[in-house]
Amino acid sequence: MTTIRQMDEQNPGAKFRRFLLRQEIILFIILTIAIILLTLGSDKFLTVDNLLNQGRLLTEIALVALPMTFIIVTGGIDLSVGSIMGLCAILLGYMWNPSGPFQWPLELAVIFSLVVGTLCGVINGLIIVRIGVPPLITTLATLALYRGLAEGISQARSVRNYPESFYVLGQGTFLGVPTQLWVVLIFVLITAIVLSRTVFGRSLYAIGNNELGARFSGIPVGVYKIIIYGFSGFMSGMAAWIFVSRVTTTRSDMGSGLELDAIAAVVLGGTSIFGGSGSIIGTVIGFVLIQLLKNGLALAGVTTDGTIVVIGTVLIFAILINNYIQRRVSAGK
Amino acid sequence: MVPGEVHALLGENGAGKSTLIKIISGVYKPDGGEMRLDGKLVAFSNPREAQAGGIATIYQELSLYPELTVAENIFMGHAPRRQVGPVKVVNWSEMTVRAKEILASLNIHDLDVRRKVGSLSVGNRQRVEIAKALSINARILIMDEPTAALTEADVIRLFEIVRLLRQRGVAIIYISHRLGEVFELADRVTVLRDGQYVGTNEVKDVTPDHLISMMVGRTIDNLFPKLDTTVGAPVLEVRNLWNKPLCRDVSFQVRAGEIVGLAGLVGSGRSELAQTIFGFTPAQSGEIILNGQTIRVRNPGDAMKHGIAYVPEDRGTQGLIREMRIRENVSLAVLKTLTRTGFINSPAERDLAAHAIEQLGIRAYSPEQLVSKLSGGNQQKVVVSKWLASKPKVLIMDEPTRGVDVGAKAEIHRLISELASQGLAILMISSELPEVLGMSDRVLVMREGRIVAEFARKDATQENVVSAMMREASEPNGVPTPQGVLQ
Repeated sequence: MTTIRQMDEQNPGAKFRRFLLRQEIILFIILTIAIILLTLGSDKFLTVDNLLNQGRLLTEIALVALPMTFIIVTGGIDLSVGSIMGLCAILLGYMWNPSGPFQWPLELAVIFSLVVGTLCGVINGLIIVRIGVPPLITTLATLALYRGLAEGISQARSVRNYPESFYVLGQGTFLGVPTQLWVVLIFVLITAIVLSRTVFGRSLYAIGNNELGARFSGIPVGVYKIIIYGFSGFMSGMAAWIFVSRVTTTRSDMGSGLELDAIAAVVLGGTSIFGGSGSIIGTVIGFVLIQLLKNGLALAGVTTDGTIVVIGTVLIFAILINNYIQRRVSAGK
Repeated sequence: MVPGEVHALLGENGAGKSTLIKIISGVYKPDGGEMRLDGKLVAFSNPREAQAGGIATIYQELSLYPELTVAENIFMGHAPRRQVGPVKVVNWSEMTVRAKEILASLNIHDLDVRRKVGSLSVGNRQRVEIAKALSINARILIMDEPTAALTEADVIRLFEIVRLLRQRGVAIIYISHRLGEVFELADRVTVLRDGQYVGTNEVKDVTPDHLISMMVGRTIDNLFPKLDTTVGAPVLEVRNLWNKPLCRDVSFQVRAGEIVGLAGLVGSGRSELAQTIFGFTPAQSGEIILNGQTIRVRNPGDAMKHGIAYVPEDRGTQGLIREMRIRENVSLAVLKTLTRTGFINSPAERDLAAHAIEQLGIRAYSPEQLVSKLSGGNQQKVVVSKWLASKPKVLIMDEPTRGVDVGAKAEIHRLISELASQGLAILMISSELPEVLGMSDRVLVMREGRIVAEFARKDATQENVVSAMMREASEPNGVPTPQGVLQ
């Protein structure tokens, strides 16, 4: 019997080809091509300042896309992340507001909004697991619900004038790199390791491929789902915190549309919308690509509407190319 | 088949009855042979052609549309139409009238044709199916276990309808596991076994015992390498376990080194019992005792912790994650023990998979192969190795050799025997009687959620076990039959 390794020794080209055809590598090639084209479009694009600034801008999408990868790997979806972010942002300002009813210390307000964010996610998970409402419907409903709460609490008033120290997270730098990019990096590392190296991560793939089989293998499917939706809520809270720190104000419409950008990044990153396959590294390439396209096209003088069209087109083509190649690969076996 | 005849088709689970009717009704294509209708050679390439030929089939799972009305269901696909200007539209009033006529011709007067089928009882849904068959002027009606999900009263009405149809000259092929029904209804009976024709008799010429021996009448060859084992102390004991509707007051023991076979018809509650013990559907009441200690099993995780393993009956949807690799499947149930500070210990995982492949002789080119690319027998070995990896004390195997080829089957049987001789307590569910008889130290028989008979190895003959499986319930209305679910 020949193993894959033995086959590789007989044919060194095969190993290299399999490496090249990995989903993430193909995406990386697409990303590189995009960067080259965008650099040709504007000389301001490929500069350290611009790229670091783009890093700041992609933080919220990135933080939400990471748990979204977990959820989509299990075959679920979370549409409520943008609304949770809005609600968390409002609560942060509302609880702290020196001229408001609570006047809490800022630290406490931050922690409170993170707790509420997590709770919102756990509620999503409970509805999905205990009542059995499909994730799409559940989170579509809570998308409206949480946004409504945010608007009700804010009464269309924004909260400004946070202390200077609060802005470090959203506007400061650490070792020359925007502070929030470090946060993103830490969470990327944690989620990548959890998904690829732990029992929990392996179980998520099993659930996404065959939930019944996962149950019969003794995996606590319900508990795990509640955990990932709760984590998604927590990360929406993190995104809210960083976003408020960056834009120095709170408004109830913050984060609307965030869920679509996050899902686009995850799917662009090669995670199957039907569950069962995907990776954090793919998602990272996904959100970087989307942000760079937005920025690079704007610098090249393309209008905002034009940019959206281009991004949509790239999304479709990237998925088509990937599907085509993966089918060829599996047919060739 | 002659007009106005009720012809019963008998056979064990897997004898080929369902396959035969699917060929007749055009769902499957025959590999060879010919079929004659009114003396003319016919070949149906799809169910629609068979229907046009006058053959209608009522399957075990009824195929109605729950959101449509009775009349719409009866005329699905051939609704009466009328011309309105340039287009033909459904003639609703005619449809209602004709639906009523058909039902009335079956002596069914209490069924409103405007009701949605989803709101009807199982018995009424079946009557709608029959009416649907008549609306296409079926001359041959095939009924696959029509009474399996019916209550006693519905069964009586069904029999009336069948007799009515017979008088009208409709030929009926009637499949049932219940011998009583065969003697009550049928004119002739054909027995199948292992996909082969055994014989056809006039019902008045045969006795139930005769039919049973025709159905099982095969010798147990030496396919089953049963090793003699010393049976030890009880490992698993179940007392008064209830989990309605298909697990009723079940009590039994399995001892170390013992293989207990669990026989019964499809739907008799064997898998439900296993899944209750495994915690997949936790018990409503009763005790599960492991090595003398009462344990609580609320989910499969609890069962696994106590050393109970369950190889489920459907490996594709329950036993395996087919889109994942052999390595990932083998380790799935024991991943927690393969971790170093929370991370999967990859070398240990690879070793486990390599060991499983070697121990069970799984034919694969690498542990990294996707399970979906393996043959059925090898897939089954992956499921078994997955549960052996958990080092269980009790192994419950549900149809361990379903859909595997003869060679792999013998290997799995040898494995089961070896495991028992190493002191494992094994509960084996199987619909294949020879397998049960050949492998088991003891045989338990389930019927309608209860254990109705127990045989020691020497007393477990085919005739004994089959008659225990098929005997009519002693009290006619004692046990309410579970309501079937509309697919």
